[in-house]
Amino acid sequence: MKAYDLIVIGGGPAGMAAAIAAKENGCENILILERGPMLGGILNQCIHNGFGLHTFHEELTGPEYAARYAEKIYNQRIDYWLNTTVIHMDREKRVTVVNANEGLQILQAKAIILAMGCRERPRGALNIPGSRPAGIFSAGTAQRIINIDGYMVGHSVVILGSGDIGLIMARRMILDGAKVRVVAELLPYSSGLKRNIVQCLDDFTIPLKFRYTAIKIHGDKRLTGVTLARMDEMNKPIPGTEEFYECDTLLLSVGLVPENELSNDAGITLDPRTCGPVVNDSFETDAEGIFVCGNALHVHDLVDYVSQEAETAGKNAARFIQGMAIREKGKKVTLCGSDGVRYTVPQFLNSNRMDEKLTIRFRVGDVYHNAFVSVYFNDQRVLHRKKPILTPGEMEMIELRKDQVNRFTDLESITVKIEKE
Amino acid sequence: MYDAIIIGAGISGASLAFELAKYKLHIAVIEKGSDVCAGTSRGNSATVHSGHDAAYGTNKAIYNVLGNAMFDTLCSDLKVPFFRNGTIIFAINDADMEEVRRLKHNADLNRVPGVEVLDREGLLKIENYFGPEVIGGLYAPTGGMVCPYSLVIALCEQAYRNHVDFFLNSKVERIQKTKSGFFVTTPKKNFETKFVFNCAGTHADEINNLVSSNKITITPRKGEHIILDKKLSPYVRTTISQTPLNLPGGGHTKGMGIMPSVDKTIILGCGAHDVTDKDDTATTSIGLEEITSYFEKNWRHLPISEKIPKFPRNMIINAFGGLRPHATTDDFIIGESEDVKGFFNMAGIESPGLTAAPAIAQKIVQEAADKYHIEKNDFFVSIRDYEKPFREMDEDERRQAVMNNKEYGEIVCRCELVTKADIIAAIHAPLGASTVNAVKMRTRAGMGRCQGGFCSPVVAKILAEELGIDLTEVTQSGEGSNIFFPKTESLSQRNSE
Ligand SMILES: Cc1cc2nc3c(=O)[nH]c(=O)nc-3n(C[C@H](O)[C@H](O)[C@H](O)COP(=O)(O)OP(=O)(O)OC[C@H]3O[C@@H](n4cnc5c(N)ncnc54)[C@H](O)[C@@H]3O)c2cc1C
Ligand SMILES: Cc1cc2nc3c(=O)[nH]c(=O)nc-3n(C[C@H](O)[C@H](O)[C@H](O)COP(=O)(O)OP(=O)(O)OC[C@H]3O[C@@H](n4cnc5c(N)ncnc54)[C@H](O)[C@@H]3O)c2cc1C
Repeated sequence: MKAYDLIVIGGGPAGMAAAIAAKENGCENILILERGPMLGGILNQCIHNGFGLHTFHEELTGPEYAARYAEKIYNQRIDYWLNTTVIHMDREKRVTVVNANEGLQILQAKAIILAMGCRERPRGALNIPGSRPAGIFSAGTAQRIINIDGYMVGHSVVILGSGDIGLIMARRMILDGAKVRVVAELLPYSSGLKRNIVQCLDDFTIPLKFRYTAIKIHGDKRLTGVTLARMDEMNKPIPGTEEFYECDTLLLSVGLVPENELSNDAGITLDPRTCGPVVNDSFETDAEGIFVCGNALHVHDLVDYVSQEAETAGKNAARFIQGMAIREKGKKVTLCGSDGVRYTVPQFLNSNRMDEKLTIRFRVGDVYHNAFVSVYFNDQRVLHRKKPILTPGEMEMIELRKDQVNRFTDLESITVKIEKE
Repeated sequence: MYDAIIIGAGISGASLAFELAKYKLHIAVIEKGSDVCAGTSRGNSATVHSGHDAAYGTNKAIYNVLGNAMFDTLCSDLKVPFFRNGTIIFAINDADMEEVRRLKHNADLNRVPGVEVLDREGLLKIENYFGPEVIGGLYAPTGGMVCPYSLVIALCEQAYRNHVDFFLNSKVERIQKTKSGFFVTTPKKNFETKFVFNCAGTHADEINNLVSSNKITITPRKGEHIILDKKLSPYVRTTISQTPLNLPGGGHTKGMGIMPSVDKTIILGCGAHDVTDKDDTATTSIGLEEITSYFEKNWRHLPISEKIPKFPRNMIINAFGGLRPHATTDDFIIGESEDVKGFFNMAGIESPGLTAAPAIAQKIVQEAADKYHIEKNDFFVSIRDYEKPFREMDEDERRQAVMNNKEYGEIVCRCELVTKADIIAAIHAPLGASTVNAVKMRTRAGMGRCQGGFCSPVVAKILAEELGIDLTEVTQSGEGSNIFFPKTESLSQRNSE
């Protein structure tokens, strides 16, 4: 059995940044396993601008952003296998991989970093009634077909979902000569970035309909149309609001789900809200020595945060391998969200081990104007900060300092809340 | 000149093709779909019914019980996934228990083996948990689950290996009686044949009425299903439904059931609604709502509710509809037509048709062979050659497989673990796949939780390569269902974004 100190599963931005950080922190024997034909993950198909503003202070395309990390992987001589799928993993950190050249083999690692990214929610998950013709794509699939394979997916398009991927695909379809009839959004607001709404829809006068969704798919062989309707508070169609849109293509941009089949294999506990593993401050799952970062942990809108988080995971994995991880000592503190905060990552911290500063990421469940983000240590409020706007589409962050945590006696739980005043 | 022409390649036509191939006959199957199993046999509850509820004395009852008994051998010969997980019909009040006893009486008349009326304790010996209101029920141990399209494909493949011809994309439009038999017309090709076997599902009345003056009427009766993620598979073992009293769909169905598919996903369904369009398998908001609201309300009775207390809406991965070909006579119409010699019906094959079809086909073919003195084919091969897909191999077999063929090392569908080699095999198999959906039915690529988001473009590329066509010519389900279009000189190139 081949053995490695660190195996990184997934060669997207998360996997690459984690491997680089592990190397920089003294871990030598690293292997990245990537199913696709090149490093870079989902970024390879994101040929639009807007990546890396935080990390590199310039606007890069997805492939450019990925290339910066891939170069470091080459320069630092970190080993990676492409076209290699991990099909199984267990708690003893044995990883079963398959590729065409070396066949099936089992690799042993001292530590593993999970960086498998996420997958898109398919039509089935929405349970839209109707027939099942050709012409229904998840937006990311369409993006790959257009940008990487070089084909069009249709000529006349309806898009469900106004998240960033849906918005960017609206523009992409127009630029490639298709008509975008409408973008329908179930929620009363868009989860996409403001600049994307302007640049991708408004500039092309594509209508965006809030509280609308598809209630019927038409067509036998190829899609011929979609019926949209407005939804009431219970998310039931309001009679009389039905509108038929003729189209040959329906793009679904209706949510991403962290990819965690392998985590399930290893019996790792997942958080039902993030659909990613429950982790502590070093991004370690409840399987000792198995870490996770990127979209496999929770869905990100900005790749810069993915890279940051992955660095932390990489650094901690290196420490774990060197036996430097502080395990039992220190106190386990629970982190969670309530009152409008859907989740926090991490879900636990160890007051002794934690870095001098720890970033807590979270998402809200609704849109809030001029509300306060509050942090409670047990039931005592320790932070209260006004925010002009909070939306579910944008990940929020707060920082905790180690001294602050350790000064507080009998700290059991840290809760993040949204408060009106 | 053919001896026998079978119209329709669902479970009825496929079973007949397989049975007829056991005789010295020149046989063709004509199917209007782009693949076999294009109709009802694709969209049903996949249950091999025990036969406890089909009314005593009907064809449905007789062939259900006979068919059920054939499944072990048939599925093992044809390498089709099948298991007997037993069926429980539970009761929550005295009226239900009365119905349970009625079903037991009916089952006994039908000679269904092993059926028992159980009290709550008896049920708890079979499943560890039932909701507190459940007081007892019926247990039918011979109930099972099969993969319906794998069965149809396997029967067709084996018929094909035994020299039955298949014509796909061919809709029978006319049949004329001739001196020596029949003249069958499709848009592409005409056929002469001695015998015609009508297995046209919801269209079987049209076919029958073309030649026979004994008119029949088939009403399409829709049933819908929801599929739940295979993560729930540990909690669903026995096929379970409530006594059919007071259920949506009432007497038309066996009631809302929960069953474990052979692929480990969970099937929920189904109701019954008469419709007019004989090919309209679209799911409807009413139908889907009926299922979800039923299970939301009644989840607490089911064994799964011990571990998963609420109906898990977020575990829905897909839904599908199917049309029962319901004959107005309310029974299977089978055998030679009274007024047209050589014309055989296998019509009105609604539930439990999937279970009954192998037995009906045997009976029809036996009768025809006796009457027309048809000789046996000594070269008939009943055991299907079958290459285990990667998904079903153990670790050593997988290692070996990749060593022998690198394409086993390329995972295409990650949810269902389908490799490039599996897909190529499905394309080049007898009656091989030529569309994305056909690959899906044969390999499961695209049937998992991501529903093909990742793999269907890759499957399309492999199809293009293997069939020597352009990607833009690849279809999802035959002519007119193209997936990709060429990029024209785009605005983005002009603007160079
Ligand atoms: C469609 C889409 C569009 C986006 N657009 C933008 C944008 O415009 N701007 C922005 O800032 N952010 C965008 N994002 C978000 C950001 O780019 C992602 O959050 C980031 O790419 C996530 O990085 P990752 O490494 O976690 O996942 P990925 O980039 O998805 O990488 C995961 C990698 O793991 C591999 N993998 C998975 N399972 C296995 C396995 N079993 N064996 C081997 N390898 C495996 C995959 O092949 C993949 O390469 C987008 C995300 C998506 C999904
Ligand atoms: C919702 C639902 C649930 C069910 N559940 C079960 C169950 O759990 N257990 C069970 O035993 N049974 C069940 N059934 C019943 C079972 O599915 C059917 O009895 C069976 O599939 C019918 O098979 P068939 O071959 O007669 O018809 P089909 O499968 O419909 O095949 C007919 C074929 O004929 C073709 N055709 C039609 N017209 C022409 C033409 N003019 N020219 C050429 N080809 C033509 C069609 O394309 C089709 O492929 C269920 C049915 C439904 C609808």
